[in-house]
Amino acid sequence: MPENDFDVVVVGAGPAGSCAAIEAARSGLRTLLLERGPFPGSKNMYGGVVYPRILDDLIPEWWNEAPLQRWVTRRSTMVLTDTQALTVDFRNEAWAAPPYNGATAHRPEFDRWLADHAVAAGATLLCDTTVTGLLRGEARRSGRVVTGVRTDRPDGDVTASVVIACDGVNSFIAKEAGLYGTPNPKDFTLGVKETLALPRQVIDQRFGVRDLEGVDIEIIGCTGGINGGGFVYTNLESIAVGVVLKLTSLAAQTTRPEEIIARMKRHAAIAPLVEGGELVEYSAHLIPEAGLRMMPEMTGNGLLIAGDAAALCLAAGIWLEGVNFAMGSGRYAGQTAVEAIAAGDVSQRGLRGYASRLSDTFVLRDHRKLRRAPELVLGDRVQHLYPSMITGMAERMFRVDNPSPKPGLRRIFREERKRAGVSRRALLRDSRDAFRSFG
Amino acid sequence: MIAACIKSIDDRSTHGLSPADEAAIEMALRHGEATGHTVIAVTVGGARADRGLRVALASGVKTAIRVDAPNDTESAAVAAALAPVVAHSATVWCGDYSADRGTGSVPAFLAAQLRRQQALGLISAEFVDPLRVTRRLDGGRREVLRITGPAVLSVEGSIARLRRASLRPALAAQSAEVLPYGTTVVPSGKTSPPAVRPYRPRARVLPAPSGATALDRLRVLTDSSAAPEPGETIEAGPAEAAARIIEVLRGWGYLELAE
Repeated sequence: MPENDFDVVVVGAGPAGSCAAIEAARSGLRTLLLERGPFPGSKNMYGGVVYPRILDDLIPEWWNEAPLQRWVTRRSTMVLTDTQALTVDFRNEAWAAPPYNGATAHRPEFDRWLADHAVAAGATLLCDTTVTGLLRGEARRSGRVVTGVRTDRPDGDVTASVVIACDGVNSFIAKEAGLYGTPNPKDFTLGVKETLALPRQVIDQRFGVRDLEGVDIEIIGCTGGINGGGFVYTNLESIAVGVVLKLTSLAAQTTRPEEIIARMKRHAAIAPLVEGGELVEYSAHLIPEAGLRMMPEMTGNGLLIAGDAAALCLAAGIWLEGVNFAMGSGRYAGQTAVEAIAAGDVSQRGLRGYASRLSDTFVLRDHRKLRRAPELVLGDRVQHLYPSMITGMAERMFRVDNPSPKPGLRRIFREERKRAGVSRRALLRDSRDAFRSFG
Repeated sequence: MIAACIKSIDDRSTHGLSPADEAAIEMALRHGEATGHTVIAVTVGGARADRGLRVALASGVKTAIRVDAPNDTESAAVAAALAPVVAHSATVWCGDYSADRGTGSVPAFLAAQLRRQQALGLISAEFVDPLRVTRRLDGGRREVLRITGPAVLSVEGSIARLRRASLRPALAAQSAEVLPYGTTVVPSGKTSPPAVRPYRPRARVLPAPSGATALDRLRVLTDSSAAPEPGETIEAGPAEAAARIIEVLRGWGYLELAE
């Protein structure tokens, strides 16, 4: 039997792919990392914060070399109605010092840095190359097995023992391998982002930070009649302002995403933050938002799926994470490939270590724990009724209505619940779901 | 030997080769195929510039050479660094602009360094003997040139699209050796660039306009309805024509500064 061109082919040089390639190449496997863009990160877009704790043992003291923008030391959750805003703001100075927590980063820089580590480990990186399909063969014991990939280059077939698909959301490879069921538009959101350039000092003043400190604001109630949420992140000399919109909800009406961002930017609580910013980038991307419910089968014969391709993006309201899940799953996929190749069994059975690695770590444990959260957070009541109820309560609490005496909190709560149209039963049910999801 | 000189950019906003540099590689390869010459690719820059050379290697260039230098090196210094590397190349192909939209002056500086003829901003080339190329001129005009002997040529991006490299050469190019060239110390481009100002001819003394009234005098100064002075066409040898051009330019006051 002729030898394969490579031991491992990783498709996609995003965070998942580069981490998989680092693991495989450091173990001495002949590793090919394919990227369809002209350089790693050129095709990527995200909300804005990475949590690189998972890199601690892969790239020790990554914080000294990673191309990051600002350390997130302030996390705010903002509830908006047309004229009101209620913000819960948390600040932690310790997150601006080693070992840090989260940081804003430009993906073209971050992804390139991570891919450079894969190359330094011995992987071959080939850009401008799109994988157009899987090569398959017959194995005696396991039947149909993936034996490599076909690329869009002339004579572009590459054979490998294991293919790791990190080709992002809407993974054509996972679909071609039959690992996904029929995709449901309800499971996806559309992330739309504007990057606005502002002088560094202006950002520092507006957001109350200094040096390399940064802010991450998550917003609910800013997307009009469309289910979703918004965000504002600070980079060093720009801010990212955007919305995440439920696909079916967006398609059911006629307002365009940029109009929704424009409306959010006009809000009294947002306008002073973004004023005078020069639009330097506009981008949009699909997000696999349904978590556990939409995940594909993660392994096939000779095939592993990681990152967004495996729908491993965590969209659970107060936790909006993706890059760390991509890096984690990529690492575990790389480790599993190493193990399976060493054992000489790359069948689905031989690759079962991947599922157990995912199950035993944050990757699937967090998703399992928060499996009800995406539906709850994007549900109609959280989106359209609770913001009005919560801000209404705050308004009543802080309004001084003399000579009337102050109403009791229970009365405010009852009256605002009724005004917002939230039934007691629905509130109890959502409270129970929230407790189960986040508790 | 035929050379393609390219500039590979690698910063946050811009990346890779310009379409013109890619076209230069393609034209060099076609020229090499037509004449049987070996094709080399040369760049001046830091280690990141190797990525552009690997594109050239994947496409069929035999040898890639990089002269190590800071990325912000000025055009004259880049040309000085390129000159010894491509001195033995019959033809040097360059793009007429880089991905970071530089001045496009390196090909002209290089031709001056090598004391070679130049044809810049080409939009087509026919690989016949002698090489026949077409330049874009102002007003939609074209200039067709026949190139005999060594030359430096720069091309627009529209002249050709770089061929898509097959997978195996593309893979081989990732690990192929990029040859360093000498230990040339290239001066940093941090020296102040030459001042660029709009062209402004020297003032010259004109006789006062004639006319009985202010309106008449204004008309003399501003009226363009009169027939323009007809142009002058002369037929002469190069030396005589050049002398006549200098004489006219001097008459118009354009050469006073130089003198």
